[in-house]
Amino acid sequence: MDTHECEMVKVSGGNNSNFSQDKNICKTGINVLDEKLGGGIPIGNSVLIVGSSGSGKTTLCMEFLTNGALNNERGVFFTITEPLFKLTKNMEKFKFYNKKLIENGTVNIIDLRIISDRLGLDAEKYSVEDASALLDVLKDIADELQVKRLVIDSITALCYRLKSDEMIRDFIFKLGSSLAAMGCTTILTSEIQPVRHGEIKYSKYGIEEFIADGIIFLSDVERKGDLIRTMQLVKMRGTNHSRSKVAMNISTDRGIEITPLLKSSR
Amino acid sequence: MKNSITEGLKERIEKSSSYSSVGIVLPSNNYNDLTNAIFEYIQEKKSNPWIYVTITKPFHILKNQYKDIIDNNSIYFIDCVSQAAGIKSQDPCCFFLDSPSQLEKLILEIVSIVKEKRDLGEPYVVLDSLSSLILYNDDLLVTEFFTHLINNLVLEHAHSISLCLEEEMNNAMNKMLYLKNDKIIKVKESFI
Repeated sequence: MDTHECEMVKVSGGNNSNFSQDKNICKTGINVLDEKLGGGIPIGNSVLIVGSSGSGKTTLCMEFLTNGALNNERGVFFTITEPLFKLTKNMEKFKFYNKKLIENGTVNIIDLRIISDRLGLDAEKYSVEDASALLDVLKDIADELQVKRLVIDSITALCYRLKSDEMIRDFIFKLGSSLAAMGCTTILTSEIQPVRHGEIKYSKYGIEEFIADGIIFLSDVERKGDLIRTMQLVKMRGTNHSRSKVAMNISTDRGIEITPLLKSSR
Repeated sequence: MKNSITEGLKERIEKSSSYSSVGIVLPSNNYNDLTNAIFEYIQEKKSNPWIYVTITKPFHILKNQYKDIIDNNSIYFIDCVSQAAGIKSQDPCCFFLDSPSQLEKLILEIVSIVKEKRDLGEPYVVLDSLSSLILYNDDLLVTEFFTHLINNLVLEHAHSISLCLEEEMNNAMNKMLYLKNDKIIKVKESFI
């Protein structure tokens, strides 16, 4: 046996991942995401997380709240898409999920349908008054709990209960004004159909994106029959953010992970 | 398991162990000799954490073949082929990747395990084999994957040993292997 060896000189790159701590920034706590955001989400911004079913919207929101709670920032999660027990059962699989944070009230999970019931609202269709009452309750809860982080999962399901397009537009604008006045950093999730033929729509009603200061778009790319999760920061007012599509992974051990998307192909 | 070829290869790997990234190009006839040599070397360097990425053989075959070494050493496996082949397996020292086409997920898993294990010593990552990824992916994509992976491993002060079967290589892969590795060991069949 003989071997032929070739020695090479290695040229390695530097790490430019130093971001200054900024008190006006709300860090998601997901390291690479914060780097891509240029440090984090500006405090008080409303961000729309857009994606089809199973794209990781709820997980991302829950990790955002948990990381905030670990930094003593109280958060509230308004769920309307799935019942409380189902949501917590799904989240229990994740290592980042911390029951103590819920028990001590640093993370609050509230089922909007229960509130809706208690207000005596029609569960199927809301009138203008119903929507307005619900918005007031939502605002009161956020004020009373003095939350720094707020999640509504999802704005699509909330609007689905409104009777007409006009009501939906009106509600979304009112919601936008209320959120801006609250001063907490908000994430709204928006459910869309999977992207087909490159046609991208960021919301079901075509208006949600206009009240948002930021849009995080979750999608998939297909490679040899495998779906690779992707994330793209479409807009984030007040930050110097990346717009590159990145690959995203959801790990029960490590939560949301991001890495560059491999793009080469013949 | 031990023979002169295995011993010779092990010696070569040992001599190259200080390099950050080592590429080994070999004819497929000597594939078993090389894996024998690598596992022998792992046995000797047991104080370092090892991450073995298998793209050629399912984990359970390796486990049967090198049971004693695997049971007594700090080796963590990433199996890229079992799930894709419909082989159901579970093992506490192995992560089963859905498919060898999930290259980004593979980078994340490798880097995450490297970070987790680096307190135990400088981690070593074995890619067995890089050329097998071409069976499942576009070769340019494999080149991009390897570039990202090596850059990440250098940042984490981890060593890599990348196996490449001569028969599976093409020009682009050859160039990439020479460009991205600190050292290349080329095993020539005619001399064996």
